[in-house]
This record gives sequence, C-alpha cells and structure tokens, in this order.
Amino acid sequence: MGRKTIHSKQTDRLLAVMLKEPLAWQHGYALMKQTGLQSGTLYPILLRLSDQGLLEAQWREADAPGKPPRHVYRLTTAGLAFAREESIPATRTSGALLEAKA
Amino acid sequence: MDTLRRRIAKALMRHVAQVMPSKQWGAAMRNEVEAIEDDRVALRWAMGCVVAGYSERMNAMLQTWYFRSALACLIVLLALREFFAPLLIFAYRMEYLGLAHFLGLRTAGDEYRRLIPVMDATPSWIIALWVAAGLLYLVALWQMLRRTGASYMLFFLGCGLDLAGVLAIRSIEASTGITVEPIPMVRLAGFVLTFSVGLVLWRMTWKRAPAAS
Repeated sequence: MGRKTIHSKQTDRLLAVMLKEPLAWQHGYALMKQTGLQSGTLYPILLRLSDQGLLEAQWREADAPGKPPRHVYRLTTAGLAFAREESIPATRTSGALLEAKA
Repeated sequence: MDTLRRRIAKALMRHVAQVMPSKQWGAAMRNEVEAIEDDRVALRWAMGCVVAGYSERMNAMLQTWYFRSALACLIVLLALREFFAPLLIFAYRMEYLGLAHFLGLRTAGDEYRRLIPVMDATPSWIIALWVAAGLLYLVALWQMLRRTGASYMLFFLGCGLDLAGVLAIRSIEASTGITVEPIPMVRLAGFVLTFSVGLVLWRMTWKRAPAAS
C-alpha cells in the first residue's frame, strides 16, 4: 500500500525549479537563489528527496582553483516522474490562484 | 584576509560538518559556503546550515534505540501516574486498606487518609478521564514502537483528558479544602514533562513523513 504523500510548498518550489532543467546538475547555492529558500530549509528537503531516491548527488571539482569540490544535485528518473506528477499540478493551481487574485 | 563575517561563517560550517549525521552532506554544506562571494550571504547561509544540521542530528537521535527506549519508559511512567489516583480511590472504596496505605505513602503527606474527603467527592467520570488518559498514552506508546500512525495525536488527546481531570479535581479541592498536591510547581512540572513528550512524539513523525508516495 502506498504511503500518504506529504509535500510542502517549499518542496514544490524546489521541484519546479529542478524541472526547468531536468538533466542539469545544480549546486545548492544556485538552487537557493532560484527557489528563494534559505539553506536551513533547502538542505533538509534535498536530504529527504535523496533518502527516497528522488534526487542524486555527486561531487564536482570547483570552477575556481583552490576552492573545494562542491556537491551538485539533479532529480533521478523517479524524481522527475514524481515532480511532474506532484509539482506541476501544484504550481498550476497556485498560478491559477494568483491569476484569480489579480 | 577573511572578514569577520567570513570567519564566523567558516567556523559555523566546520561545526555543521561535525554535527551532521551524514559526513558527506556536512562536507557538501561546508564546501558550498566557499563558493558564495558575498560575506553577508555566506554568513546567512551558514546560519541556515546550522539549523539544518541540528535538525538532522535531532532526527537521527530520535530514531536511535536508546532514545526510543528512554521515551518508552517515560510514557509508561506517565501512564502509571494516570492510573495512580484511580487505583488509590478504588483501593480505598473497596477497603483494600493495605494497598491504600501503600499507595498513600507515595502521595504528598505520605498518608492516604488525608485525601479521604477528596476521594469521597471524586465522581466516577473524573476517574474515567484519568484511566482513559493512561490508556491513550499506552496506545500512543504502542504506535510509536510500531512506527505507525500519528502517535502524538493520541498522546495529546490523553494530555487533554488528563488536564480536564485535573481542572475538575481543583473544584473538589476547593470545596473540601484539601490540596492533593500542595506544591503547584510539581503539578506544573508534570504537565510540562507530559507536553514535552507529546512534542517529541510529534517531532518523530517528521522523519517518517514521506515526500513521495
């Protein structure tokens, strides 16, 4: 039996951003800038998605010399399917609400 | 030369890397701050990571067997506390005076006879409230151990019944002139402890809440 789906607005926002470039690896800071989420919110979501196999992470050498390697993230196939299923309807709904308010 | 903000950010990130249960994610957070050019943003990033680090640490701790065992013992004690007054009243009313004396030694004043007017005046529904509260605590404990359901809801319901019982008994105390617990702080501490256990149970469900079906 499937477990109850619980996803927050912040998770939706992150999934929506990651869906824009589904194959691209993105840094945590870049995700923070795009989503507007603070690191204290962003990392627990990334961890949770990773624990559930929806997100993959790997180390990448830094662009600038002397800087340490950075973690980059992208959605797995399961993550993409989940994001398309869960995030887009939510984004549409919130978009429709915003339009209705306007 | 690093600015003060940058140094604080780096120090915080070193701390986060130690606090995080996953060393890989701790290192990921720590290294990310190096890529942030603006010192103010880096410091804010680091402070957020401290919150995330402790949150993850707490999640990991809440799932350990020793923490869960300690919490289970505490919930059993809270349930026994709910059954105490009903058992004392039952022993007194059924004239099991040996048992009443034994239980009375565990009350404030060390004597059950001091409480006789209160026990005489306590209606059955208040006793039922306490028993129900104790049972709800035990069911919540069972749910916590099986990692199923929202155990905190049952626990808080038990808390509510307990509180209702205590508020009801206060009017009996006022009418009889006998205070069951003469030190108000003891009663308050009991409630704070009970409420804290409920909050911990609630927090434990966070980790279980899945992002996906």
